[in-house]
Amino acid sequence: MSAPRALPVSTPAAGSDGSVPAPTAKPGRGRKRRLPFSAAHLLLLPVSLLFVLPFVQMFLTSVTPEAEINRFPPAFIPSHITFAGFEKLFAESDILRWTGNTVLVSAVAIISNIVLCSLAGYGFARLKFAGRDIGFLAILATIMIPTQLLMIPTYIMFSKLGLIDTLGAAMVPWLASTFGIFLMRQFFLSLPAELEEAAMIDGATRWQVFFRIIMPLAKPAIATLAIFTLLGSWNDLVWPLIAINNADAFTLQLGLSNFQGTRRTEWSLLMAGNVVATLPLILFFLFAQKQFIATMTFSGLKG
Amino acid sequence: MSVPKAVFSGRPATFAASSAVGGSAPAKTAGPPPAGGPAGGGPRRRRRRLLQSLEGWGFVGPALVIVLGLSIFPAVWAFFLSLQKWDGFSDPKFLGAGNYREMLADGELGGAVLHTVVYTVLFVPSSVLLGLFLAVALNRRIRFIGLYRTAIFVPFVASAAATGILTTYLFSPQFGLFNNILRVLNMPQQGWLEDPGQAMIVITIMSLWGQAAFTTVIYLAALQDVPGDLLEAARIDGASSWQTFWRVVFPQLAPVTVFVAIWQTIQAIQLFDLVYTTTRGGPLNATETIVYFLWQAAFKNLQFGYGSAVAYGLFGATLLITIGVVLYSRRTKMEAF
Amino acid sequence: MFSTPGTRSRRTRGILATAAATAALLALSACGSSSGVETLDESADVTITMWTGQEDSAQKYLEALADEFEQEHPNVKIDLSPGASSTEDLLQKLSAGFAGNNYPDISYAFGSWAGQLEASNRTLDITDQVADPAVKWDEFSPAARDTARPSGNKTIGFPAVVDNISLLYNKKLFDAAGVAYPTDEWTWDDFRAAAKQVSDPGQNIYGYAYSVSGSEETTWQFWPKFWQNGGEILNGDQTEATFNSKAGVDALAMLQGMAIDDKSVYLDQTDTKFGQLFASDRIGMITSGPWQLYDLGVAGTEYGVTQLPGTDGDHKTVSGADIWALFDHKDANKAHWAFEFTNWLTQAEQDEQWNVAYGNLPLRASEIDSPAFQEQAAKLPGLTVMAANAVNAEIARPTLPGYVGLSEAVGQAISEVLQGKGEPDAALDAAVEKANKALAED
Repeated sequence: MSAPRALPVSTPAAGSDGSVPAPTAKPGRGRKRRLPFSAAHLLLLPVSLLFVLPFVQMFLTSVTPEAEINRFPPAFIPSHITFAGFEKLFAESDILRWTGNTVLVSAVAIISNIVLCSLAGYGFARLKFAGRDIGFLAILATIMIPTQLLMIPTYIMFSKLGLIDTLGAAMVPWLASTFGIFLMRQFFLSLPAELEEAAMIDGATRWQVFFRIIMPLAKPAIATLAIFTLLGSWNDLVWPLIAINNADAFTLQLGLSNFQGTRRTEWSLLMAGNVVATLPLILFFLFAQKQFIATMTFSGLKG
Repeated sequence: MSVPKAVFSGRPATFAASSAVGGSAPAKTAGPPPAGGPAGGGPRRRRRRLLQSLEGWGFVGPALVIVLGLSIFPAVWAFFLSLQKWDGFSDPKFLGAGNYREMLADGELGGAVLHTVVYTVLFVPSSVLLGLFLAVALNRRIRFIGLYRTAIFVPFVASAAATGILTTYLFSPQFGLFNNILRVLNMPQQGWLEDPGQAMIVITIMSLWGQAAFTTVIYLAALQDVPGDLLEAARIDGASSWQTFWRVVFPQLAPVTVFVAIWQTIQAIQLFDLVYTTTRGGPLNATETIVYFLWQAAFKNLQFGYGSAVAYGLFGATLLITIGVVLYSRRTKMEAF
Repeated sequence: MFSTPGTRSRRTRGILATAAATAALLALSACGSSSGVETLDESADVTITMWTGQEDSAQKYLEALADEFEQEHPNVKIDLSPGASSTEDLLQKLSAGFAGNNYPDISYAFGSWAGQLEASNRTLDITDQVADPAVKWDEFSPAARDTARPSGNKTIGFPAVVDNISLLYNKKLFDAAGVAYPTDEWTWDDFRAAAKQVSDPGQNIYGYAYSVSGSEETTWQFWPKFWQNGGEILNGDQTEATFNSKAGVDALAMLQGMAIDDKSVYLDQTDTKFGQLFASDRIGMITSGPWQLYDLGVAGTEYGVTQLPGTDGDHKTVSGADIWALFDHKDANKAHWAFEFTNWLTQAEQDEQWNVAYGNLPLRASEIDSPAFQEQAAKLPGLTVMAANAVNAEIARPTLPGYVGLSEAVGQAISEVLQGKGEPDAALDAAVEKANKALAED
């Protein structure tokens, strides 16, 4: 079949070269500059600091001696840095197991979402078949259902299927998502149809077209879907709280929630745990953010 | 049910003001390439349609089964629950519309509706404006812009649990950073989450912190689509940048704004996680939202039936609001869907 | 409307879909019914699931004991887990578990839930077994025994943790304010006056603290003064709430006076913060239990403990007796080992390695003189005062199923009044109405 690189039209993938939203707007607007730097810095710098502040606080607290945390008046920075919280975290809790469980849940969720949502997104965007509109409508309607409504029936259903207390209970709800189907559909709609038509005239089947031509083009959208799925499945708390009691199947969020006792909370330990739970996400985000912004720009998610 | 169908899937979802890439696409997605011919036809045509359908369902089926199996199926189940009185312990009792009647007379639920409306009114406009503002600010090529972007986007990864813990921590009236700053500046100490008048505002601020990335990215994307020649023309006409923005750029962003507003409204109406991880509905129920209320009814008071009924009420209201906004925006030609 | 194929294929699909859904449902309901063993075989392999409701550090002690039991009985496996992220959430997990037919053999349960658990008909009845003198059932306090036997008909489990609330005072703050330390002779008037003197709103210092979260923590703190005033929570045949009597209104009016007029009470929106604030010298007095002492030790707080202030020499306190509830799985082996393990766990020798080691009060009176408890008491000053205060726990909270709803109504009334949103009599009247509704339903 035709090689995907010989594409006639500029495609979204071409936009993901890293130059992030290329600013087309506002060339020179009769500027009367006095500052040696853009005035935007004056605004962006404090705003950025404000946005980062809670993370700074989280990290600071995790290395503050426990006795200093609830002292009055509170200090802005700890008198000295201690890693006692982290040491306790790794020595006394099952954080490594929780991390492993969470990685597994998220990995399965991401892979499954990519495969299933791409297929469905493509089907809804490009194929014409009986019941398509009703199917898509039903999927969209699910955004409006408060998930808390579904928990009791889902719990009963899962317990009959033997999923309760297993990692499966945390995984199954993330195998596919409304958001993912919507995102991928929007992305595929933005692709010119000529590509596929040409390939089909050459005798390729839909499936061949999908896997050889469409999927390679969809990398930026897939990256976005991966980020959202990772965030959702990694950070999920309320459902695992209900569905998993077995300490062997604890996810990170579930394990950390046990640090906040009804009667005592060790802040340095709790914050250390949250640093460990959040850091991978921050790193992943830094790594994938260019792709992420690029897809949001080019896919139809803006509309 | 015919209205939302037309609304959501009547046409491919793109803006009137779509990007160059996206703009040409929708027209071509209408059908499989070599269709043609009048409807009807013999068995061969029917067979081909069947194959087409099978192929289509082959693509969408697996995801559809999972998404609907985990939402529509339990939702229908929950509907039957909503007609019962059941605590999980004893045998269910059929009530018919009893739970729905009780809802109408429930003063606490009325309070929860009010708090949800307050939050929505606080959150949706500020998140839209903040997103717009940040997008405009970030939409330029200056030094460190990558750092600024990262700083503003990165809270998006924080879990509700972490956000909740940080909120309680930062806004602690005794040990929190914010009161500490006020104390150093000799300004009066605030109750924050412990003050019924301020708690919802604090929750809004932290929601904005976590969610700003979403609206910002979407606006940032939409700003790319504003045609350069429009701006050029406005500039030649001597418009100030303020005028250019509101008269030329902003109208181009109207469809995105409708989309973002609907999306954020649905999110706001379903506020739960941050309340759960911070105030648990307090102080004096000031932050008890509808979803928190229904959670509490179902899982704390073990009124599964009543909780489901409230959820159905919420679903109906959300549906009506969405349809209303979409119809309105269609009439005013700001097509978002 | 759509260019869809003919109606026939659509109908066929509909039928297929319905058939598939029905089959799935049948499959679901089929695998739910598992039948257990009817005749006991003590040597058969069996796994006992236990939800402890304990936080991490407490859990460790229970795990060690479970390991020991497993070594003694190699065919028994004890599967321990906290069950929920906080003890309070266990009830919700149990109810979801009952709904999904997926519940543990043993679960920790607050005493206030006992009635509701019994009403579920999922509990075991171990009345005959605990009559065995070897169990030494009589060593448990009367309040604890009553909690495990909510309606008086069935014994649904063993006492798990007992405690009561005493008065803790912060010596540093009392010294700073020049106020004499509380004594066991104190009246509530002494208490109120001291709280006012210790308070210094400008410095964020309060004389007393009260949880206004509206949970059982809010409610149970109210009962001691109420009982000392001669109040009864329920009428004689336990069908109606009577806490809006003069005893109730007076008790609440005193708290209201302290919170609103004296401004000497820190109103805690959570159930935990006042403990931390007390530890960091922000609060002069709290009424709390043994679980507080460990943190005070870590924080190095200088504190003292005495019994609650009294009314005419009556120093009644409220006791919390939580239980290990045992659940029925229609399986003789599970029932046998669930009983055996819980019985073993609550015997003095094991209890010293769990409740006493962790810093709770001993479950059985016989443990107070044990070296283990004496050692703990040396580490946690005030623990012996708290243990001795058990004699003031004369009245048990009601254990009938409607208590959960009653407690919520009272908690809300207290929380509103203390925050200036109501008057004691009207708020308690409204609460009685709600409580009666809850009592009538169950």
